[in-house]
Amino acid sequence: MVDAVLLILREVLEAALILSLLLALSNKLQLRYHWSLIALACGFLGSWLVAHNAYAISDAFDGIGQELLNSALLLVAIISIIALSLMLLPLAFANFQPHNNSSQRATTLTHHYWLVYCLLVTTVSCSITREGSEIWIYLSSFLPSPETFYSAVIGGVIGAGIGVSLGAITYYLLAFMTEKIFLPTFITVITLVIGGLSMQIAKLLMQIGWFESNAPLWDTSFIINEHSWLGELLYAVIGYDAKPTATQGIFYLLAVTPIAVGALCHKWRLRIKNHA
Amino acid sequence: MKWMHNNFLHGIFLHSKLWHRGLWLVGLLLANATKAEVPTFTLEIRDHLFFPSTLVIPAATKVKLIVKNTDPTPEEFESYELNREKVIMGGAKAIIFIGPLPPGDYPFFGEFNPKTAQGMIRVEQ
Repeated sequence: MVDAVLLILREVLEAALILSLLLALSNKLQLRYHWSLIALACGFLGSWLVAHNAYAISDAFDGIGQELLNSALLLVAIISIIALSLMLLPLAFANFQPHNNSSQRATTLTHHYWLVYCLLVTTVSCSITREGSEIWIYLSSFLPSPETFYSAVIGGVIGAGIGVSLGAITYYLLAFMTEKIFLPTFITVITLVIGGLSMQIAKLLMQIGWFESNAPLWDTSFIINEHSWLGELLYAVIGYDAKPTATQGIFYLLAVTPIAVGALCHKWRLRIKNHA
Repeated sequence: MKWMHNNFLHGIFLHSKLWHRGLWLVGLLLANATKAEVPTFTLEIRDHLFFPSTLVIPAATKVKLIVKNTDPTPEEFESYELNREKVIMGGAKAIIFIGPLPPGDYPFFGEFNPKTAQGMIRVEQ
């Protein structure tokens, strides 16, 4: 049962944290929460479909279908988060303008509400599909033996409960932030999250031999071991890797650069405006 | 100001040598990854155990690992040290590329049966 708790917790944690971050954003932007139910339903269905077709997916493209599908799901989530963050940047920097008009800020996203909802649903659906499919496959391995199956299900429920609780803590930590610091914090954290997701794509492409699996850039195992609970938590939040390779580094930079450049441009324009 | 802004982006994306170097590096990594035939080694999962439990591979060489799962239930090949993770369905096989690696021992395990399914990749000169 302990194995089931740990495995399900690992799978649930990343999706739960992404969902919590985006729910906190909904709270601050005064969006409705119904998108989260649609995303959960899509993710639930998507994960079941992936698990149900696991054999066909694994065999596809000469045995690399699993990696390609997971990479595609990660890529779609990353692109959605980048698009969402670039839309939020003007709002984040508007908070620092001296003659800031809240009604003007509120209308900035009004014309793009549908796009925002679509991006939120896509991000969460992709995360749940990827992580959830592994949970279905794991639980299916216990089906031949009802006793161990129920034990695994109970362990899974406990693991999922811990993951959801950590997600809830993250939500309330962010929801209680003032508006001025929420958006910069959100954009920073979500940028680190997509950096981590991009490193997972790099890892998958190295696993199928498409990219060189070169020597690690550094080894921080002696500070935070990936096996430790802190290492696991950091892996879920920012994709912590004690021994990242150059390929992973390049993917990380490619993922975080659009938001970093966008933020720098806004900062630069704000400085010019304030000096004008 | 708009002109300055556009000029700034233009400078970053079109005239930056960094951009070209990045593309070159990605191309090199891709080219190196696909250019040659790699030695192949096979692992088997049977009764939630890995056979052989210790697999010896050459150092500084990219290796193709074929993992055959002869059990009817799925298993996940996982290794923190090798930075690899792949679900292998029951009765199916999976291909995993590892290396080039320096000499040493690299443990791996089956995440669905971590108590029994344990093994080691031993990299030797």
